[in-house]
Amino acid sequence: MVSVADTEPIARGRFARWFRRSEAAQGYALMSPALLVLIIGIAVPLIILVVMSMWTRDGFGFDMTPTIANYQRAATEPIFGTLLTRSFFVSGLATFFTVLLCYPMAYYVAFHVHRNKMLWIVLMTLPFWTSYLLRVFAWRVILGYEGVINSAFLSVGWIEAPLEFLLYSQTAVIITLAHAWAAFAILPLYVSLEKIDKSLLEAATDLGDGPFKRFMRITLPLSMPGVISACFLIFIPTTGDYITPALLGGPDGVMIGNLIQLQFGPVNNWPMGSALSIVLMAWIAALALVFLFLTRKAKDHLA
Amino acid sequence: MDVIDQLNAVKNGNLSRRAFQKSLLGLGIGMMTTPFTASRAAAQDGQGTLFTWGGYDVPELYTNYEAANGALPDFAVFGGAEDALTRMRSGFVVDVAHPCHTDMVRWVQTGLFQPIDTSRLSNWGDVLPELVALEGNQAEGGRPWMVPFDWGGTSITYRTDLVEIEGEESWDILWDERYAGRIGMLASGGDAWWCAAIKAGVPFDQIATEMAFEKTSAALREQRPLVRVYTDDTTTLGQALSSGEMVAAMTWNSTAVELQYEEIPVRFAQPKEGALTWVCGLMMHKDAPNPDRAYDIIDSMLSAEAGEFKIGSYGNGHSNGKSFEKFTDEELQGLGLSANPRDILDAGQFSIPQEQEWESRMNETYELIKAGF
Repeated sequence: MVSVADTEPIARGRFARWFRRSEAAQGYALMSPALLVLIIGIAVPLIILVVMSMWTRDGFGFDMTPTIANYQRAATEPIFGTLLTRSFFVSGLATFFTVLLCYPMAYYVAFHVHRNKMLWIVLMTLPFWTSYLLRVFAWRVILGYEGVINSAFLSVGWIEAPLEFLLYSQTAVIITLAHAWAAFAILPLYVSLEKIDKSLLEAATDLGDGPFKRFMRITLPLSMPGVISACFLIFIPTTGDYITPALLGGPDGVMIGNLIQLQFGPVNNWPMGSALSIVLMAWIAALALVFLFLTRKAKDHLA
Repeated sequence: MDVIDQLNAVKNGNLSRRAFQKSLLGLGIGMMTTPFTASRAAAQDGQGTLFTWGGYDVPELYTNYEAANGALPDFAVFGGAEDALTRMRSGFVVDVAHPCHTDMVRWVQTGLFQPIDTSRLSNWGDVLPELVALEGNQAEGGRPWMVPFDWGGTSITYRTDLVEIEGEESWDILWDERYAGRIGMLASGGDAWWCAAIKAGVPFDQIATEMAFEKTSAALREQRPLVRVYTDDTTTLGQALSSGEMVAAMTWNSTAVELQYEEIPVRFAQPKEGALTWVCGLMMHKDAPNPDRAYDIIDSMLSAEAGEFKIGSYGNGHSNGKSFEKFTDEELQGLGLSANPRDILDAGQFSIPQEQEWESRMNETYELIKAGF
């Protein structure tokens, strides 16, 4: 007579053997916590977003018949296009300036600092230990009507009346974003610059390259991965940024993130808000692909 | 295993991997379970939650509550009533919320609220009856949906030294091109739209008509290039007025009163077309987790002491008749108030509750205008 208790250890042993042999199963088991978080935290909300974007607002509730009317509105009504373009413009400029300003800093630490490098990096990222909101408010104090810049210029006598374009404008948003996200540029830039083999630079010098040519032919192409990841790390989140334009943008500095928030808040049109989020995501993905393609081309060209 | 043993092992550098992992496990379990025990303890001693406008989270309004419960209520803050409703509809549960009369009817329609048992409020007898008998405020059994708390006006706070007034004060100040770029506006449509309707000459009983809609939005569009910033943050408006960054802004009574305390030359205008008047009150969530404390919050806010603070420091009216006794008629007039709320509410223009469709459309249009379309 074969009892249940006899077969069980065999089955368990078989499973264990299969598990030990299969690398894929081990891999998935190892990933499972992260995978679970990804599914619950990203995939499910994304599906909800896609489904909801095809509904229609109906008083307090939703009309759940699928329709693409929201996407049609997003494509035709001028406000959506304008705000989307403005968001890309603002965050594009912010990305450009951040990378431009952070590159020399990262370069200096990577090539000219030989002791306590970690301390330098920590010091550079020190301002980012305060909260994002606090940094935005700090810029309000600096750029404000009676702020640091205006009072300084007034007391020196460079201006007669406070400069009003400093606050509540796109300029204010770009300045603040460029500062607030600097840490996300310095770190990847530093890592990629640090990895460059110094003997390549010596070789270039031996073969007759001046400092500028050496930088263009060796340092820049080899640090390109850092530049690209810095651009992505800044461009993607800043495009949808909500708090900086809300506090510093004024009427003309509103970005697409603010419009999406409004759809979920006072305007009370969640389906439209979902559709706008999806449109934004699609645009960012498309722009990122184009950017990746162009930088790859440029890299091939340089190398 | 003893802690001292382990510490010695670390010191001597011979802590075994197994022992180390065991202590890590212990630490992990400890950290995972601490929040549970802590939050259960907090839930037992949880204070009531009040969902209210920014600026109401001051201890002076809740002295009775604090005396009874040993701490202040928990606050959650919103910038506009429509925003608050959306958050509660998506599942945010509070004990007491603080909408205005214009919002009340739509809030009741969501089915998220319960009528208030006034027999549990010790200050109910002193509440001004005119403020309770508002349109749509009668639930079953003679109970009200909303207990009135504060009332007042939305008008213009302007710098008397920087704005030139010809003749009577008027809403035209906010539309004056001489002050382009130096005008502030409230961002919530609940105030701005109604004030623009007054300026455009739309009678409130016709505000839902198509023509009224066009006239009002045209007025707001015309004003938009003059506006420095749209915000619901009264501090931002107050600071801008005191520095001269703005010369005039749409505000509630409180901004003017606060600036006058700082001796900044401002006035809260009484426009010839009428100011916008409002009554706000307290509603109880149907699933209020702490109903007893909810009644404590409401009762504390209705007390005469809270009212005196509200009148004296904010320049808002209060719903308790006794709150006005400490003030002379002259003082009240200076604040733009009267012990008889009807005097003020009838002199201004009292906004009328609207359907959800209208409210959403209005908010959407106002957002479009603010963004420049």
